[in-house]
Amino acid sequence: MGDALRLQSISKSFGSTLALRDVDITVQAGTLHSLIGENGAGKSTLLNIVHGLYADYDGQVELFGVPVHFKTPFDAIRAGISKVHQEIQIVPELTVGHNIALGSEGEHTAHGLLNRTALYGKTDEILERLRCTFRSSAKASGLTVGQIQMVAIAKSLYRESKIISLDEPTASLSDRETQILFGVIQTLLESGMTIIYVSHRLDEVMALSDRISILRDGVVMGTWRRGELERSVMIEKMVGRELEAVFERRPAADGEHGSVALSVKGLSSESFDDIDFDVRKGEILGFAGLVGSGRTEVVETVFGVRHRAAGEIAVNGTPVSIKSPADAMEHGIALIPEDRKRAGFVQNLDNKMNMFLPLFRKRRSYLVRDKVIRANYSRYRQLLRINPDDPDYLTAELSGGNQQKVIVAKWLGTDADILILDEPTKGIDIGAKSEMYALIRSLARGGKAIVVVSSELPELLALSHRILVMHEGRKTVELINDDLDEQTVLHYAMGGLS
Amino acid sequence: MSRMRRVLLRREAPTLLALVVVVLVFAVLDSMYLSPDNLIDIVEQATINGLLALGITFVIITGGIDLSVGSTMAIVIVVVGQLTTEGGLLPFPAVLAGVGLGLVMGAVNGGLVTRFGLQPFIATLATMSVFRGIAYIVTGGWPVLNVPESFRRFMDGDIFGVVPIAIVILLVAALLAHLVLTKTRTGVYIFAIGGNAEATRLSGVNVSKNKMIAYMLCGVGAALAGMVLLARLGTGEPTAGQGHELNAIAAAALGGTSLAGGKGSIVGTLLGAVLLSALRVGLVVQGVDAFWQFIATGAIIAFAAYFEIVRDRLNVRR
Repeated sequence: MGDALRLQSISKSFGSTLALRDVDITVQAGTLHSLIGENGAGKSTLLNIVHGLYADYDGQVELFGVPVHFKTPFDAIRAGISKVHQEIQIVPELTVGHNIALGSEGEHTAHGLLNRTALYGKTDEILERLRCTFRSSAKASGLTVGQIQMVAIAKSLYRESKIISLDEPTASLSDRETQILFGVIQTLLESGMTIIYVSHRLDEVMALSDRISILRDGVVMGTWRRGELERSVMIEKMVGRELEAVFERRPAADGEHGSVALSVKGLSSESFDDIDFDVRKGEILGFAGLVGSGRTEVVETVFGVRHRAAGEIAVNGTPVSIKSPADAMEHGIALIPEDRKRAGFVQNLDNKMNMFLPLFRKRRSYLVRDKVIRANYSRYRQLLRINPDDPDYLTAELSGGNQQKVIVAKWLGTDADILILDEPTKGIDIGAKSEMYALIRSLARGGKAIVVVSSELPELLALSHRILVMHEGRKTVELINDDLDEQTVLHYAMGGLS
Repeated sequence: MSRMRRVLLRREAPTLLALVVVVLVFAVLDSMYLSPDNLIDIVEQATINGLLALGITFVIITGGIDLSVGSTMAIVIVVVGQLTTEGGLLPFPAVLAGVGLGLVMGAVNGGLVTRFGLQPFIATLATMSVFRGIAYIVTGGWPVLNVPESFRRFMDGDIFGVVPIAIVILLVAALLAHLVLTKTRTGVYIFAIGGNAEATRLSGVNVSKNKMIAYMLCGVGAALAGMVLLARLGTGEPTAGQGHELNAIAAAALGGTSLAGGKGSIVGTLLGAVLLSALRVGLVVQGVDAFWQFIATGAIIAFAAYFEIVRDRLNVRR
């Protein structure tokens, strides 16, 4: 088959920063071509050029042998190349069918009137092809993340795209939804679709890709065929150095742990029931379970974000009443939330202010003292190595991994003894991930009691001393992480009995 | 980045630029425009709108809006009017009573927004109507006449016969507002709430309380504006302040306060109020028909907003 997309010596700069330098990549029609690299390597910039978001670049783009230069995203869509966004956007008030057709209702419109039956007919057919269980007439607001992604894919099929790009498509999906997505990807490839795939998850990249291109600092390090690259080589090419084994297992018995710092008994709310667990000082407790099993809800309830229907929480052996995040903080608990953008930091504040935000309440002085706020920033400078290391930089403009570091610093500043991290490495690259793991381990060694919620089993197996597994709002089992394997944890997460 | 560029990228830059352009144009048309009397007149004309706009800036930065400030003014005007006339209250206690009233009405707005979760636009649209009704009921629809000279001099006289007190009130209030917004915990919280209320709450901040403070400060601004107007006119009309909320929002928006919340400054708002006043005075001096003043005001708001978009684009490409 021929070339679907050919990029020749593409360069793009922002002010004095060169984001892409002489990028040459050829994507063959009907194949899945992965782009991998650390955050800031230039993947998003490249996609934005291909999808017409950046009209101002050097070099040439060819689509099925024809030179093109897209000025707007709409140009790209009309030419048959569309994007399934990293954070998928739908209009919740509209039906699935209208979401799929949004902006391209033309062929089902006569004299300004929309023929809904015909439109749903076509969108239903697409949903069927994607083996979706919901139909066009369903309200989009009731869909799960995985289903919303299917709507986004359906949208590109509706527009008869020949090339689609998927940017971190599995980041928010449960294992089951991920498997469904992979099935759909296979079907699409068989029907001749060309797919550009961007993901930090190297295992799925290796499993799915026909070809893999690695970007580092805006330069293509090379393109490899399926099976030509070993995982370790891949990481080395991405990061430019060998990483200490990120997923190296830590045995459960690495020393005695201290006294029980956080004890939860019979905790219940509308989304989970009767959860018990203890975390000791120096211990890392992992929370496993499928998306929707109630893990996030449990930790948010402990932190006072959600209403607690029943149950007791004790800190250092003393029962405490937690009705708000402020209460939880009073008892030395910190929550690093799953959704960084929504709950982790404030977009219009810079790094030093975001870090200081939870600390104002503890200070007796009502005035904002610039010196104190800067000193607090410097406190964690060595430990975290935020890039760019600038207290006046807007946190919103950092990469995901660096935003996460700011959020961690913010909560370390509160001197909390109990740290809850919900999906601490979601959407961050392998280099930042390995730093985060090292940090979590060193915090535990320093005596903090740590709870880690994660959808990535290798992550939980690498970090945790014990793993609590949840299924549909209930605790199924608590496992000691001693030669545990993924299958065992998954078995309980799917509701298997002990 | 050069110093010039840094100045241009400041939030207040478009407002300042527009102000300079407006003043230059009118000065060329008529050199009297730059006379000290006329300049003082411009600022004096800006005091009432300026005081309203200061308060509303707090609310807008939290991501809210207050449409009731004009009606709050009216209540304060008639009540303080009656207190100083029939009540025989001295100026200072009367002003305290007025400020107290402003706080109460701000708290009503804040309560509707935080306690009952009403959208700020709807909550204050409701109180705009309710407060206006109260102002009419207080006087039975009649104006309060013959406000004593002592009160009029207290709020709108001149210090040493030169410096208008209203300007002093505006500048002192602006300085305090600026300090609260930039140098105190409350100021940081107000910006943080406008930027991301959920993340702010998860940082242990009492979001409701701080929103409440913003609405109450807004009420104080409206009360001060009302009392300056009462002193200036010498009569207290229950119809006073109608449409003032829009001028105040315009001044804040002109000064770079984002109606989406999270961005804004007192300096900008002050410049915005002075700009609107400079424009109006200039048009009057030129003898331009009053109807055209509306068009000019609208055009300058659109211009400043567009300049801000251009400026943000430059910022991104930094």
